[in-house]
Amino acid sequence: MIEFVLAQLVGFSSALYILVIDPITYVYLIPAVFLGIVFGALPGLTATLAVTILTGFFGNKFPLDQALIALIGSYVGAIYGGSYPSILLNIPGTAASAATAMDGYPMTQKGLGGQALGLTTTASFIGTLFGTFCLLIFVWLLLIVSKNIASPEKALLALFGILLSGTLMSEDLVIKGWIAGLLGLAMAMVGLDPLLSEPRYVFEWSYLLSGFQVVPVLMGAFAIPQIMDGMREAIKLMKVPNVGRIRPEMGEVMKHMPTILRSGAIGTGVGALPGVGEDVAGWVSYGVGKSVSKEGDQFGKGSKDGLISAEAANNAAIGGALIPLLVLGIPGSPPAAALLGALKINNVIPGPTIDPALILHIVAILVLASLTMLIMGLLTAKIFIKILRIPQTMFLPVVMVLTTIGSFSVGGGINDLFLMIGVGLVAYAMNKMQYPIAPLVIGVILGGLFDETFRRSLLISDGDMTVFFSRPGAAILLTLNILLVMSQIPLIKRMFSKLTGKFKKVGA
Amino acid sequence: MDEKTILRARDFWTAIVLFFVSLFFLYRTSKIPFFNSASAGVDSAQWYDSAALVPFGVFGILLALSIVLFVISIKDGGAKVALSAVGLDIDISEIKRLFSISIILSAYIFGLVPRVDFIICSALMITALIWGFHRGVRPATYIASAAVIVPALYALIANFPQSEWGKPHDDDWITLISFLALTATMFATEIRAKNVDRVVKATPIVAVLCPLILVLAMAFGFRQNVPNRTGLLFSQIEYNYYVNLRPLWQGKK
Repeated sequence: MIEFVLAQLVGFSSALYILVIDPITYVYLIPAVFLGIVFGALPGLTATLAVTILTGFFGNKFPLDQALIALIGSYVGAIYGGSYPSILLNIPGTAASAATAMDGYPMTQKGLGGQALGLTTTASFIGTLFGTFCLLIFVWLLLIVSKNIASPEKALLALFGILLSGTLMSEDLVIKGWIAGLLGLAMAMVGLDPLLSEPRYVFEWSYLLSGFQVVPVLMGAFAIPQIMDGMREAIKLMKVPNVGRIRPEMGEVMKHMPTILRSGAIGTGVGALPGVGEDVAGWVSYGVGKSVSKEGDQFGKGSKDGLISAEAANNAAIGGALIPLLVLGIPGSPPAAALLGALKINNVIPGPTIDPALILHIVAILVLASLTMLIMGLLTAKIFIKILRIPQTMFLPVVMVLTTIGSFSVGGGINDLFLMIGVGLVAYAMNKMQYPIAPLVIGVILGGLFDETFRRSLLISDGDMTVFFSRPGAAILLTLNILLVMSQIPLIKRMFSKLTGKFKKVGA
Repeated sequence: MDEKTILRARDFWTAIVLFFVSLFFLYRTSKIPFFNSASAGVDSAQWYDSAALVPFGVFGILLALSIVLFVISIKDGGAKVALSAVGLDIDISEIKRLFSISIILSAYIFGLVPRVDFIICSALMITALIWGFHRGVRPATYIASAAVIVPALYALIANFPQSEWGKPHDDDWITLISFLALTATMFATEIRAKNVDRVVKATPIVAVLCPLILVLAMAFGFRQNVPNRTGLLFSQIEYNYYVNLRPLWQGKK
């Protein structure tokens, strides 16, 4: 095991060295991290939007190695950047930093805004490194396992990703998450089918023969609702409080190292769940922190432990979200879905056959991006604080132009724009009715994989359905899918709670 | 009325829409060969590799879930208030604002971008969105919406077929006039109200510079296609770039 870890570290060091000595790296990395932090810091713009817009610009125009620097740099920057308005204004810049506001803002009210930002910056840096280290180790272990994954497992895994994302991302009824996921899956059915090239739902429009493209769907699903929502409310001028100098707060960080490590582990684990992502990671870690921390009663009143719990976890989730993406082609979070879009338009198929050098390259980018984030967070924080004063009505129209030209240039031309606005209006309506959008996007991305592998499994087995439970991996995944659905049925929920109630009585 | 009841009232209507959409797509799916199809002269499919298999499953489950959602909405009292404006939580002023945003975005994408110079139409859209929605003043919203809708409708009607999109037309000029008129109206209104703030002052700069820089970066930096290359401004930029500027720094002039 130690030999394996050492071998990985050597491979990683070499990839990092190549990246560090190449001046081109910094041409992409520094603006991308800066842009990411700005996107994260501006309420109304999200990490997913940052990665999606950059996918439109970099996706198929630059060598993949360089495009990934820009995309991952913006991803890391945006997740961290969300903490600025959370801490200073009590407005989460991204959903991932919603838990950060719980203790960050009370600290600002106590005049400790600078210290909160310093702690957040350092905790985010360590959190990202933790997630990256886990990515470096677990991705290889899972790749070994994934070599035994065939069509039945892939189909069930894709289904599990859609169902899990629908279950966990739904704020209202769970079936709304499932409906969103199924709508995404239905959208993936449009075009020529992958096995027989049979046209489906093309309505005699030749553009639809190639199916819905990922980038316009991503832009429509994530950008248009944000723009409409932001413009809907009249201007709210934000008074940004003055903060003192922002320092690394190393002493405080060392004191809270167990919290950072615990939050890093939770963040990576939650991030690795298909389609779940940084926002859930932040809340789960915050909840766990509140119940296990010595200062749990101070959570919500300006606790440093609370702040670190949320912030280290949401950044660690980045590494976690890339694990299923690279090993199985199933994105761990919505921004990872945008990254998958970039990989797809570069004809890179994540999975057991992925180029190992690409994985090491991604890990090296993550480390360098988190370092850039740390330096920028400490040295240029005042700029990001000033950016908070820009009203939404000023920057959202510019985002619309960015989205339009980014979506247009990916390849489908004007038709992609029609698709983008159509998906956007539907996504906005779904948002209003509390349907989560992430499962819809995950459904669009994984729908093709599910359709192809599900039918291929049946084709190979000559229509024998036992192929989905005769193989051990498939049987486990099928059980997980069934359990996931059954756990949401009210009758079974009631029976389970009665059963646990009886056990508790017996225990007492 | 509590938020949950309002949501259930909306769910009531969504369930009905979803039910009929699922039914429609199940009908469309029935047109895809399911049992023993032959295509391109090859007897290809059994039921288990038919292209209709997964869509049947997806729309079948959607149909079932729409019924479940319908039942939940009735159980939770959504059906009782589904027909009332209060039940649906309709705020007329918000609807108007939202409708204006949707109209501006749709006019921009469906009417202007395919037919009009990208820099000019984006400048118009940015100005309309910033001034029309910055303070939430209703007359500004209406004027801004009209400023986008009029040239978009003209472009759409005058040059509807796709074969006309890439050709230079007078719709570029009409959009430019609309942009200039809207900018002038914005300043006149704000000066009269003695309320010219930083946002208003910066609007024309942002409106022109952002699309200009983006288009230049995409066309000459990233070497990508941009919408409407024959547009009023872009065609001039492109001509001068290739005829005057490029030869200059390549030492051919």
